[in-house]
Amino acid sequence: MSTVAQYVLSGLAIGGIYALVALGFHIMWSAARAVNFAHGDTLMIGGLVAAYLVAIGWPLGLACLIAIVCGGLFGFVLERMAVRPFLGQSNSIGWMLTTIAVGIMVESIATIETQGYALPLPSPGITSSVQIMGAGLYPQELAIPVIALAAMAGLRVLQRRTLIGRAMQAVAYNKNAAALMGIDVNLVVAFSFALASLLGAAAGVLIAPVVQASATMGVLPGLKGFAIAIMGGITSAPGVVLTGLAYGVMEKFVEGYISTSAREIVGFSLMIVVLLAFPQGLFGKREVAKV
Amino acid sequence: MPFQRFKRLRLMAATVAFGLASSAAMAEQQPCIGNSAAVTGPAAFSGLAIKMGAEIAIDEINASGGVLGKQLKLVQYDDAGAPPRGVDNTRRIALADKCIAILGGFHSTVAVAQVDPVHEIGIPYMGVWAANTKAIENGKDPNFMFRISAKDKWVARFLVDEALKVTKDGKIAFFYENTGWGNGALPDVKAALAAKGKELVVAETFNWNDQDMSPQVMRARDAGADVIIIWSLDREANQVLRAMDKISYKPTIVGAWGISGNLGELAGPLANGTRVMQTYSFLTPQSETGKKVLATLESKYGLKDPSTIKAASGIANAYDAVYLLADAIKIAGSYDWPKVQQALYQVERDGLVAPYKPAFDKADPERNDALLPEHYLLAVWHDGKLIPFAGSPYDK
Repeated sequence: MSTVAQYVLSGLAIGGIYALVALGFHIMWSAARAVNFAHGDTLMIGGLVAAYLVAIGWPLGLACLIAIVCGGLFGFVLERMAVRPFLGQSNSIGWMLTTIAVGIMVESIATIETQGYALPLPSPGITSSVQIMGAGLYPQELAIPVIALAAMAGLRVLQRRTLIGRAMQAVAYNKNAAALMGIDVNLVVAFSFALASLLGAAAGVLIAPVVQASATMGVLPGLKGFAIAIMGGITSAPGVVLTGLAYGVMEKFVEGYISTSAREIVGFSLMIVVLLAFPQGLFGKREVAKV
Repeated sequence: MPFQRFKRLRLMAATVAFGLASSAAMAEQQPCIGNSAAVTGPAAFSGLAIKMGAEIAIDEINASGGVLGKQLKLVQYDDAGAPPRGVDNTRRIALADKCIAILGGFHSTVAVAQVDPVHEIGIPYMGVWAANTKAIENGKDPNFMFRISAKDKWVARFLVDEALKVTKDGKIAFFYENTGWGNGALPDVKAALAAKGKELVVAETFNWNDQDMSPQVMRARDAGADVIIIWSLDREANQVLRAMDKISYKPTIVGAWGISGNLGELAGPLANGTRVMQTYSFLTPQSETGKKVLATLESKYGLKDPSTIKAASGIANAYDAVYLLADAIKIAGSYDWPKVQQALYQVERDGLVAPYKPAFDKADPERNDALLPEHYLLAVWHDGKLIPFAGSPYDK
């Protein structure tokens, strides 16, 4: 029983990170029909900036806040420099290459800066573990899935209740019509990228105390977050968050009952099967284009 | 058109023939040593350590007149831990830079990939870090792969001996990273245990950047292991320690030297008591050579406090490797590759890491390795610092 509880809880913790990353992909895709493939690196920016600021003596809370803002700023600038110039022409896929390129550059800079070492981010959330049904977990890890769900709910409120949220939905539905209604489409798209990156950086700050901040910490979560966004249906926020949590738990059970090296094989095979059965993802709606 | 195509074909054939001929008649080696190591990627610190050690030795050698009347030079390439780049760098160092020898890097997968190109070309290779047994014991004759570093086969015996000293009921688990280095060590550890009439209770693996090791750690606990031998880097070892902390499981950890970088910083007090195999430490009483190197590390690289020097083994191994190569060049009286390869077997020197008497033994295929198990050193993590085990609070 304690083993099963351990796998479920550890899985929810890592799944929460996947969910936050996938939620970022959902936000970007909804607004721009493009995503930032360097999104995994916003985790790294969040984690590393926080670790550096704490190391030079800043209080943890402020360091994390600044780190998250830095992440958001990165998303904003990246949208302006590497996505918008390539979205003008129809069917342009230049943004794929440019966002990947920016990601590689940022990662290289981080490697030079850290010399490849991982940096610790001390947090009160990992000083001692708590026991739940025989499973041991850091409070920090317990907080992650909760925060992922809160982010999902927050996004819903934002979309329903605020002007910018409604504008995001309008842009997602039809860019040209939204522009004709007086919505500044460019601003909304830039806001979406910044918001997604804020979430990414927050995920980085959350996970860094547990896994350490390093130049490569965002690579795998970034890739898996994208896979989960596709699997869950990139147009559905609850879809990607729930899929993220479930994927994390599934991974732990594969590690526990099959083997650690089988984890990616099973995970990515599952992704292909899901896409064959549900081409729009598990929770995605078919997008009807009227011609 | 057919004529033009024929002309182009002939031109191509001539180019290929010229290329072959010129590589066979490799002219004039230059007084340089090429290093292919990871200067970027997760083990970037290792490339920097090797560079420091090699540069210090080269500066000293040049200050006393260089080799065969010429100043020695270091040519640095980055392999980023990727075998294809290591192979490419090998060819570049040998054929473009025409260096006398190649210094190896951190990653075993790269070192193993370099075996073939090194022998195709016939340039001496001196490993200073990657410890894979087969990189050096590769069955080639003449063998151009030499090493001043640990050898996994011997490290496994060394760590198994330490594990058996600590264990109460002989239940030992093995944790290893899913890489060329980790997978290569599994048979070595099994063999070392079998020689003592024991076997592993579990062998658990994990990938780089894995973020939670709970399943593996729980299996080790359920198997009753009271000692864990670990073959990993700092980052993953930290995850193992944290997973143990979460389930309040406290076995003794005995690790290969991948966890000698910044584990103390990452895991904090959880790292205390983790034993690590090293080839060198700047925290023991230093020889004259050691004092000299420490002084240069301070003046040239600003490393004032010896306890803050990360990867001491890498620095020291690279330092000795350059000296052994310089000695061999002097004995050979030439920069010529085969002559230097032969001369390496005649080198004797009191090095920084160990006395090399002789450094290598042509008659023994196990002895293209200069460092022997008796030169290995046990260190232990204590309050964020890696200190010699002897005399530490854990030495009872």
